[in-house]
Amino acid sequence: MKSLHRRKLISASAILAVAALTVATVPANAFSPKYEVGVNGSEIKLGITLPMTGAASPGYNKVPGAMKAYFDYVNANGGVNGRKITLVVKDDAYVPTQAVSKTNELILKDRVFALVAPLGTANNKAVAASVNPGRRGVPVLFVNTGFSGFADQKKYPTTYALLPSYVMEAKIMAEYIKDNFAGKNIGLVYQDDDFGTDALAGFKQAGVKFATTVGYASGSQGAATAAGWVTKLKAANCDVVILFGVSSATAAGLGTAAALKYAPQWILGSVGGDATTIKASGVPAGVLYNAVGASFLPATTDTTDEYVSLFSSIYAKAVPGSAFDNNVLVGMNSAFVTVQALKAAGGNLTRKSLLAAIDAKGSTFASAALLPLNYSATSHVGYNGYWFGKYSPTGDLKPDGGKYTLYTTDSGTGAVVKSTYKRPAMPAKGLPN
Amino acid sequence: MFEFINTLLIGITSGAIYSLMALALVLVWRSTRVVNFAQAGQALASTYFGFEAMKHIDNFWIALLIAMIGGAILAAFIEMVFMRLLLKHTSSGAIASVAPIIATLGLLEVIRALITLKWGGADVLIKAPLSNTGFSIGTHTLVFSPMKLAIIAVVVFLLSILSILFQKTNIGLSLRASAFSPELARLAGIRVDLVRTFGWALSGATGAVAGMLLVVNGNGSLSPASIEFSLLLISGFIAAVVGGLDSLLGTVIGGMILGLSTAFVLMYISDSLFFIAPFIILLLALIIRPQGILGKKGGRRA
Amino acid sequence: MRKINNKISNKTRIVIFLLLGFVIFLISNRVDELRVYQGASVAVYVVGIASIILLTGYSGQVSLGQGALLGVGGYAAALARNHWHASVPLTFAIAILAAAAAGALLGMAAARLSGPYLAGTTLALAVGLPSLANQFSILGGEQGLFFDVGAPPQSLGADFTQYKWFFWIAALATLIVIFWLQNVMRSRYGRTWKAIRGSDVAAELAGINIARSKVLAFTLSAGVAGLAGALLAMTIGTVSPSAFPLALSFSLLTGAVLSGVTTLGGVILGAVTLVAIPEIVASVVDRLGASEGVATNLPSLLVGALLILTVIVLPNGPVEQFRSKQRAKVKKSH
Repeated sequence: MKSLHRRKLISASAILAVAALTVATVPANAFSPKYEVGVNGSEIKLGITLPMTGAASPGYNKVPGAMKAYFDYVNANGGVNGRKITLVVKDDAYVPTQAVSKTNELILKDRVFALVAPLGTANNKAVAASVNPGRRGVPVLFVNTGFSGFADQKKYPTTYALLPSYVMEAKIMAEYIKDNFAGKNIGLVYQDDDFGTDALAGFKQAGVKFATTVGYASGSQGAATAAGWVTKLKAANCDVVILFGVSSATAAGLGTAAALKYAPQWILGSVGGDATTIKASGVPAGVLYNAVGASFLPATTDTTDEYVSLFSSIYAKAVPGSAFDNNVLVGMNSAFVTVQALKAAGGNLTRKSLLAAIDAKGSTFASAALLPLNYSATSHVGYNGYWFGKYSPTGDLKPDGGKYTLYTTDSGTGAVVKSTYKRPAMPAKGLPN
Repeated sequence: MFEFINTLLIGITSGAIYSLMALALVLVWRSTRVVNFAQAGQALASTYFGFEAMKHIDNFWIALLIAMIGGAILAAFIEMVFMRLLLKHTSSGAIASVAPIIATLGLLEVIRALITLKWGGADVLIKAPLSNTGFSIGTHTLVFSPMKLAIIAVVVFLLSILSILFQKTNIGLSLRASAFSPELARLAGIRVDLVRTFGWALSGATGAVAGMLLVVNGNGSLSPASIEFSLLLISGFIAAVVGGLDSLLGTVIGGMILGLSTAFVLMYISDSLFFIAPFIILLLALIIRPQGILGKKGGRRA
Repeated sequence: MRKINNKISNKTRIVIFLLLGFVIFLISNRVDELRVYQGASVAVYVVGIASIILLTGYSGQVSLGQGALLGVGGYAAALARNHWHASVPLTFAIAILAAAAAGALLGMAAARLSGPYLAGTTLALAVGLPSLANQFSILGGEQGLFFDVGAPPQSLGADFTQYKWFFWIAALATLIVIFWLQNVMRSRYGRTWKAIRGSDVAAELAGINIARSKVLAFTLSAGVAGLAGALLAMTIGTVSPSAFPLALSFSLLTGAVLSGVTTLGGVILGAVTLVAIPEIVASVVDRLGASEGVATNLPSLLVGALLILTVIVLPNGPVEQFRSKQRAKVKKSH
C-alpha cells in the first residue's frame, strides 16, 4: 500500500515537472524592436473575430472573404507602403467567452498589429473589458456593430465605430415615416435585446407612436413565431410595419406575411435588409417588392457606381460563385478604409501613428459610402446617416427616384438633417494614394 | 376571435411537428432506454438526404420517402455500431445512466460537423409541394394552408400506422421486453438485437419526417446551423417528458400541450418569453402529473 | 485500515496541494501572457467540471444545465460588485451562495426525478434561464453587465499583468475548492452519495434519506458551479446571456467525461483538453493548409469523436483506468 502512495507522489510530481517544463519552454516571441508588433519590412498582420459557424453566422461569414479579396488586390498592386496585408480570421461562434480567448490569441500569439471589424456588441464589450485593447494600445478599427456606445472615447480609447448607430437609424427612419406615411398605423417588430432597445430609444425620441410592437426573443424567429407576429400586426390594423431585426427574422416575417395575404408597407432595417440573404432563405423576390430599405453604401446592383463595379469584379475573381451582396460590400469597404488608415500612418507604421492618422485625416478618407466619416481627435463616430429606397421587382434595393437622398443625425438628441455631401471620386484603380 | 383561432392553428401545427420529434425520441427510449440527443442531428442529416433527392427527382413526397429510408438506415447504423458498443462497455458502473446521454451529445456534434463539411454552412432550399398561402374566410386569412393541412395529415397518418404496428403486432411488447429485460426477452425467443435496431430505424424515419415537415412548414430553407432544428430537439424532448416517455398517445398530447401553450403565451403575454415558456410548462407538468399525462403512478424513475 | 490510510493521505494531500500551489506560482512567472490567460480559463473549467463530477460522478444525478448555474453565479457576482461594491472575496462568496440557493431549488425538483426527466428539466433550464436577463433591466439585457475585480495590487509591481492577477485568483480559488471537495467526498456525505449512486434501494434500506442527500449534492454542486461562473465572469470582464450558452453546459459535461466523472484526480485533464483542442486543431490546420470550412468545423468534430471514444473505451475516465491497473499490479506483487 505504501509503495502505491510513493509511486503516486512520484508520478504526480513527475507530471507537474513535465507540465512546468513544457509551459516554461514556450519560446518567447522574438520580434525585432525596429518595428511595431505585427509589422515588419514586408508585412502588416491584422486580425478579426466574428461568427463563422453557428446560428449567427449566415451572411456575416462572407465578410472575411470579402476583406481578404480587397487586401489581396492591394497586395498584388504593391501593398501598403511596400508591405503586404495579411488577415488572421478567428471564429468566435458569437460567444463572448470565445471572442475574448480568440482576441487574446490574435494579440498575444499571432501578434497582430490591429483588430479590424470585430463583430457583435456583447462580444466587443467583453473584449474591451477583459483583453482591454485600449490599455494595450491595440487599435480596434471599425467594429462591425451599430451599438452607439463604442464611439465613446473614454471607455474605448482605441476603438473606432464605422456603421451608423441603431439610434441614428431609428431616428432617420422616423423622419422618413413622418414625410411619407403620416397618419398611418405603424407596427414594429424588433429584437428584444440591446439591438432592439437601442432602436426603440431612437423611435421614442423621434416621437413615433406605434399601434403595436412585437419584441421577439433573439433566436426564436421562425415560421411558427412569425405567424404570431403577423396575427398581432393584423389585429392592430397596421398599414406600415417596420422589421427591425436580423436577416432571419426579416425573412420569416416577410415570408409568413405573404402566406397569410398580409401586405402592409414594409420598412426593413439595415441589419436584416440584405436582399441576397433574405432571398437565400426562401423568400420570393416578389414579396420584397416595394418594401422600403435603408443603406449608407450605394446599392449593390448599382453597376454605374465606380466602387460597386470595381469591388464586385475583384470579389468575383477572388471568391468565384459567391453573390456580391451588402455583407460583401460592407466587408470590402471596411478593408478599403483600413488600407487608407494604414497608408495615412506612413512608412514608419506604429499603433500610435495609426491612431493619430485616423484622428487627423480620418474625416477625409475616401470610402464607398455616400457619407463622410466623422473621425477627429474628439470623435470616433464613423458614418452617421442613411438613404432610403425601395426594393425592385427582382428584390434589389434602389434609391427613391433613382437618386440617393441622404439624411444624417447623431446618437443623441440632435435633429435629422438632409446631407449635402458629395462623395469624391474613387482613387485611381481603387487604390488609395 | 380570429386572433384566437389563428393562435390555436399555430399551436396545432407546431404541436404536430413537436409530437413527431417526441415520438422519435420515445421510440428510441422504448427500445433501448436511451435518450437520444443525436436525434436532431439525425433529423437534420435525413432532411439533407431529402434535399439531395429533390435535386434528382423534383417530387417532395418521393424525397420524403427517401429521407425516411435514409434516416432509418442512419439510425440503424448508429444503434448497431455505437449503441451496442456503448451499452456493452457501460452497462454498469458510475456513469451507466449518463453515458448514453453524453455519447449521443458527442454524436450530435459529429453529425453536425460532417453535414457542414459535406453541404457547407449556407442555406439550401426545399420547395414545398403545396401552397403555403392561408385559407381565407371573408376578409380574414387563417394560419392554415394546404401545406399545413398536409402536414397534419402526414402526422396523423404516421401516428395511425405506428399505433396499428404497436397494437396489432407484438412489436411494441418486444420493444418493451428488449429494453427492460434483455435477458428474459432472449429467453422468450425475442431477437433482442434485431428488435432494438428496428426500434431505432423506426425512430430515424419518424425524425426524418419531422425534419422535412419542419422545413416546408417554414420558408423552405435549411442550414446546418438552423436554430429551428436545435429547438426541435428541445421541444421534442420536453413534449416527450410532458407526455410521459412511454405512451405514444401521451407523447402526441404532450406535443400538442407544448405547441398550444407556447403559442398562447407568445400571443397573449409576450413574444420575448419564447425560451422560458417551455421550461415553465415542463415544470408545471412535472408538478401536476409527475408520471406523465397518461402515465401510471410510480413516479418518474427510469 | 481504510481510516488509517485516509489519515496519512490527508497530511500528504495538504503537502501536495501546497507543492502544487508553489509550482503553479512558479509557472505563472515563467510563461507569456497568453498562457497565463489560458491557465485562468483552465482553472475556470476545472471548477466547473468539478461541480459536475460532484453531482454526476458522486451522486449519480445528471445536469445538462450546469451552464445556467454558472450564469447565476456570474450575475450574482456582477450585481454584488456593481451595486453593493462588495469586496472581491465577498462577491465570490455571494456568487456561491446565490447559485447554491438556485441549486437547492433545482435539487428539490430533481430529487423526485431521475434519468431522462432530470436531464430534460436541466436542459430546459440551460435554454431558458439565460434569456431571463432580457426580462429584467437590472440584468443589463443582451449586453449584460461589467464585472471588474480591479487591477492587481501596486505592491506586485508594474509588470504584473491583469491576466496574471486573474490567474492567481482563479488558481487559488480552484486549489481551495478541489481540496475542500476531496474532503467532502471522503466524508460521510461522500460515502452516502456513493451508496445512492450504487443503488437507491439498498441505500434506502440502510437508512439513508435519499431525497435529502440528493438535494444536498445538488446544492453543493451548484455552489461550486456558481464560483466557476464568477471566475468566468472575471476572466471575460462581463456577464451576458450569450456568455452562458447551452454549448457551455455541454462542454463542461464533455470535460467531466474526459476527466472521468468518478474521480477528481483527472479534472485537470478534461479542462486542459477543452482549452487545448481548438488551438491544436488550428495549428494543425495551419500546417496542412486545409480550407476554412474544415478549419472551423474540425474542433467540434474532434471533441465529439473524443467524447464518444472516451465513453466507450474509458467509461470511468483515464485516471480511474490507470489507478485500477496500478491496483491490479500492487495486488499481484503482494
